[in-house]
Amino acid sequence: MENFITRRRRKELIVAGLLLAVAVFAPMAIRDVTALNVIILSLLFAGLAQAWNIIGGYCGQISLGHAVYFGMGSYVSTLLYVQAGLPPSAGIFIGGAVGGLAALLVGWPCFRLSGHYYAIATVVVGEIGYLLFLNWDYVGGATGVYIPIAKPSLINLQFGKDKLPYLHLVLAFVAATWLAAWLIEGSRWGYAWRAVKDDVVAARSLGVNIFASKMAASAISGFFTGLGGAIYGLYVGYIDPDSVMAGHFSILIALPTVLGGVGTLWGPILGAALLIPLKELSSSYLGGSGRGVDLMLYGAMIIVVALARPQGLVSLFGGRKHGAP
Amino acid sequence: MKRRQFIIGTGALAAASRAAQAADDVVIGVVYPLTGNGAAVGLDAKAAYEVAAKIINDTHAPIGVAMGKGGGLDKLGGAKIKLVFADSQNDPQKARAEAERLITQDKAVAIVGSYTSATGATISQVTERYEVPYISADNSSPSLNQRGLKWFFRTGPHDEMFTKGMFDFLADVAKKTGKPAKSVALFYEDSIFGTDSSNVQRKLAAAAGLPVAADIRYRASSPSLSTEAQKLKAANADVLLPSSYTSDAILILKAMNEIGYKPKAILAQAAGFQESAFMQGAGALAEGAMSRSSFALDADKLRPAIPVVNGLYKAHNNKDMNDNTSREITALLVLADAINRAGSAKPDDIRKALIATDMPGSQTIMPWAGVKFDETGQNTMCNPVIQQVFDGTYKTVWPFDLAAKDVVWNVGS
Repeated sequence: MENFITRRRRKELIVAGLLLAVAVFAPMAIRDVTALNVIILSLLFAGLAQAWNIIGGYCGQISLGHAVYFGMGSYVSTLLYVQAGLPPSAGIFIGGAVGGLAALLVGWPCFRLSGHYYAIATVVVGEIGYLLFLNWDYVGGATGVYIPIAKPSLINLQFGKDKLPYLHLVLAFVAATWLAAWLIEGSRWGYAWRAVKDDVVAARSLGVNIFASKMAASAISGFFTGLGGAIYGLYVGYIDPDSVMAGHFSILIALPTVLGGVGTLWGPILGAALLIPLKELSSSYLGGSGRGVDLMLYGAMIIVVALARPQGLVSLFGGRKHGAP
Repeated sequence: MKRRQFIIGTGALAAASRAAQAADDVVIGVVYPLTGNGAAVGLDAKAAYEVAAKIINDTHAPIGVAMGKGGGLDKLGGAKIKLVFADSQNDPQKARAEAERLITQDKAVAIVGSYTSATGATISQVTERYEVPYISADNSSPSLNQRGLKWFFRTGPHDEMFTKGMFDFLADVAKKTGKPAKSVALFYEDSIFGTDSSNVQRKLAAAAGLPVAADIRYRASSPSLSTEAQKLKAANADVLLPSSYTSDAILILKAMNEIGYKPKAILAQAAGFQESAFMQGAGALAEGAMSRSSFALDADKLRPAIPVVNGLYKAHNNKDMNDNTSREITALLVLADAINRAGSAKPDDIRKALIATDMPGSQTIMPWAGVKFDETGQNTMCNPVIQQVFDGTYKTVWPFDLAAKDVVWNVGS
């Protein structure tokens, strides 16, 4: 059994490595900026969805307030750059760390709640974060913060017109989140978290520290979400509460995982690869003609998947749904 | 190829005569929210740009505005302006991506936009990187032109200029009537618009030596504003300065009316107060309210082109021009004039021509002194007007030489 699992995990790692190699080189043939933009956003949300998967999938704690960690990450890295001159190449990690810290702060009171109550609490936290930043003058309030245009460089993480470096940056982000999820899956932590997800009472009787498990999962998830938010802010070049902290980001971060498969390694990536291009392209090409067609498509797809494949799309590939109950 | 559906060039007429064209079209990208929140404004903007393109491209009797003689860009062999519209959905990320697409795929030599300041912020960063001019027709955040951008040009006023106009009016009306306002009350919603507006108002009130009797920030789209109305009544300032969108504007007037309070003067930062829905919703309560505006539909004595252009716009979109659509039409005319003067569709030449722009107000449909950009790309000659509601319509009351009606000033009486 041990052998089988080790072999399976090695295979997963090899597949991921091959996919990464393809993803590094294949986009070099693409010249179309719209296509590159869609790929970049899809990858970014694949990483964010994977980050959400760590707490929402493996640990089973449904968070609908991830926009706060996302927004914190982008605000912290942007403000450090604009106010203190700290290059974003360092700032994004501090942004991530603050995202993780925020997740701990939210978790401290909220993990005492169970089931749906935790999810509801995170919605409220999301709204509080949004209002706080909207009314806080030091962080630009409703006016937002501009990221000044700097010389394209790896230190500034600005690449001017060149899209490929951005793509590789978010690719590295996806790879990091995937690797984190992969490590968690095989670790003692991962098993403990899945036990927490399946049955809290049983897990406790086995000696799993429930609260610490949730906090750890939340912190890792918050870190990667903040990191993603920081990269997003840099990519867009301007942040305000509406564009990084609004509630729809919480949904957009969770949705690819739910669609692709909760608590699976490939679900978030699959979900994002399907959902984000659909969202971007339908709004670009259908948005002008009929109002809300893109949103209808979006909703219809989720309903179909929820009815036909509640385990997520990843189960179509005959994969095991290890980690899922 | 699907994008073709979105390309609204010179209208069906021009499409028919395309074969006859000698010069290449000059492509200009236009980014607005065409769906989602802000779509109503965006669709009006689209109509406004189409009308402006018609004025530039079509053959018609000369209109008394820049590029008003029609027939395309004469210095470019009669080349036509071709507009390509893109939908920003009022999302800064989307606006950025669409501007990039317009420049790289549709080969737009300039971008015009974009209603909200957040989308203007990201579009202007793209245009800076790609080195094509961005003409801001209606983004009003003062911070936009203070970022040292080389390719940013704003034809319309920003909020500080608007607010300065309001305080200039207060000073002028005091001189004229001998009844100066002795205090103001600030009342503003909590998003970027209200926050920025109130910040400037506070500063200018202090500069004018006007005490702020009430400083009330409220949550936009509140279900009730009765507490706020009570506070305003208690403060009873001479002039109420609201910065509100439509539903809040109606709500506060109703709330004040319910407690039997009518401010001596209301001087609004446009927005909701200038919407037609406000006039319908507030009805008689709006009577006598004043609002700043960058456009005066009734200034036709000074600007004879207004009725002509308004006629074209009304035929196209079945409503009168307003504060926004007039600025949008003006932005495209200013840009086309610059391209024509440049005699070239190269972004660098267009930029040089924009910098050299010195258009007298009489060449526009606006009550402005003219169009001339400072080193930050801001038009410094776009002074606003103050309008007052008479029988459910806004009439221009200031500057006094433009006034269609005498101002009704109840302060101090």
